[in-house]
Amino acid sequence: MMEFDVIFGNAARAAFGPEAVILALAAIGLNVHFGYTGLLNFGQVGFMLLGAYGTSVSVATFGWSLWVGIPVGLALSAVLALALGIPTLRLQAVLFAIATIAAAEILRLIIGSTDAIELTGGPLSISFDASAFYDLNPYAEGPQVRYGAGTFAFTGQQLWVITVGWTLVALAGLAVFLIVRSPWGRVLKSIREDENAARSLGKNVFAYRMQALVIGGVIAGLAGVVDAIKTSGADPNGFRPQVTFFTYTALLLGGSATCTGPVLGAILFWFLREWIESFLRQLAAEAWLPQPISDSLSGSEGVISVGVVGLALIMLVLFRPQGIVGNRTEMLIDDG
Amino acid sequence: MTVDEYPDADAATVEEVEPILRVRSEPGVSKPDPILTVEGVRRTFGGLVAVDIDHLEVQRGVVTALIGPNGAGKTTLFNLLSGFERADRGRWAFAGRLVSGMSADRLARQGMVRTFQLTKSLARLPVIENMLLGAPDQMGERLRIAPFRSRWRDQERDNTERAGQLLEQFNLMHMRDELAGTLSGGQRKLLEVARALMAEPRLIMLDEPMAGVNPALAQSLMQHISLLAMSGVSVVFIEHDMNVVAGISDWVVVLAEGRVIAEGPPWNVIHNDLVIDAYLGRSGRPAESTGREESS
Repeated sequence: MMEFDVIFGNAARAAFGPEAVILALAAIGLNVHFGYTGLLNFGQVGFMLLGAYGTSVSVATFGWSLWVGIPVGLALSAVLALALGIPTLRLQAVLFAIATIAAAEILRLIIGSTDAIELTGGPLSISFDASAFYDLNPYAEGPQVRYGAGTFAFTGQQLWVITVGWTLVALAGLAVFLIVRSPWGRVLKSIREDENAARSLGKNVFAYRMQALVIGGVIAGLAGVVDAIKTSGADPNGFRPQVTFFTYTALLLGGSATCTGPVLGAILFWFLREWIESFLRQLAAEAWLPQPISDSLSGSEGVISVGVVGLALIMLVLFRPQGIVGNRTEMLIDDG
Repeated sequence: MTVDEYPDADAATVEEVEPILRVRSEPGVSKPDPILTVEGVRRTFGGLVAVDIDHLEVQRGVVTALIGPNGAGKTTLFNLLSGFERADRGRWAFAGRLVSGMSADRLARQGMVRTFQLTKSLARLPVIENMLLGAPDQMGERLRIAPFRSRWRDQERDNTERAGQLLEQFNLMHMRDELAGTLSGGQRKLLEVARALMAEPRLIMLDEPMAGVNPALAQSLMQHISLLAMSGVSVVFIEHDMNVVAGISDWVVVLAEGRVIAEGPPWNVIHNDLVIDAYLGRSGRPAESTGREESS
């Protein structure tokens, strides 16, 4: 008997869990880069990495307070944006994309190298004491205490992380909303449409791009901070390039250049992914599938579910290119 | 504004209104009140000299046409002067200030605003937002002020009002809230000129503003350009249609192979032998070999 309530519960838990918070924050940041400014940033994970490692290293290696570590993580993300932007923002879009993906990979390889063991833990993961954060947890904690119903349930600690996490998502989303509806946001969109038009009307394209890169980068850094706190540490393997691609998937699913798109996209991404994975696991457990198929399936549910999400993205691009909340006419407009 | 609002335009003698008419017709001649002075500007692409101008002055408050055969370097000259391309050497001053090498956006903020041969309407922004983008010195364009609507709301309202007036003049009011990408090619041309005017230019440089605009709209655009000059804005425009050139320009500069080969009032220049040669090709030499083909 397939238990669809269990599948749904699992999917809902993933859709509102800390992973979705992290993805939503990364997508909000990417929306500032790609959605509004047209910056093809393929190194979003690099900002997340610095947010996570900035926090982790500050606390674990230097023994600083978590409340110092978090701003350090965010500041490092901002520094990356500046260091990356100064030489590359004048490049063509495609070259900028290559530079960003390379920068993020270089950071991951350096931080994960054995030479960096004493500072970052190198290839081993780094872990720190995040009790400064969990001490503030207002929810009751205990082996039997669960909030929610069925499989859609969280421990008190998880609930505390996601309460703070979604609050941060709301604040970041609101901040982005406030700045992009202004004339400042109009300049960003004009740069996305045609940078020379913006220039010919007196807009300093480089400065605006830099501001957008820093803002979106710091929001991605915040995603990294949440990640570090959630796991009380960081692991270089958690910051591979696919994190950026998942972020693009979420952003496009929800709707690029919209305020709610990145958040809805992140929720939907994790819901779909977990629903499919959970469904496949149940299929295997029920032994409804022929033995050879279920054997080859077992253990690769995660891979298949990512594949199906990828397929969903392809369908979306074909049939609803504007995403869930995007504007179709705007999307289909001719560039000429 | 319409022509009728300038009843006095014909009252004074033409020479009094236009001191430019007392200037001799010769290449590089100095003008009584230049807004733009170009000195020794040169740009080469590989072995080809695209622009090589010894001296050129553009008179303030009049309409100057820049003509020449394809590949004469007209658009390149625009790109150099407006900061979109780098000159190999040379200096130029705008409104009495040396501006050579200045970035395009700074030049625009100084009041030297240009449009492009291939329109650059911002397709995914509504027409009104295209217009508002042009407005200068917007508080709300500063990141620190942008989140606080109360600090830019009034300025935005004034700009929106001015944008509405311009849209009205350019017959685009009915498209106000449509995405600019839905406009016809001619309407985009008009939008681009209107948007440039939002920037309150002192000198507006139009690269083939009439190309692709239907005859009725072109007529009204020509009228706007004449009115602009009357209201004190200097205009330089690139144009191929000699009827347009003869119709609205006070002064014509002819470029061929990157050099100024003639300048003067339209009736003087259009029938100049050198100019006819430049367009039709010199004896024994086909017109195609006069230089690099510009996109057109």
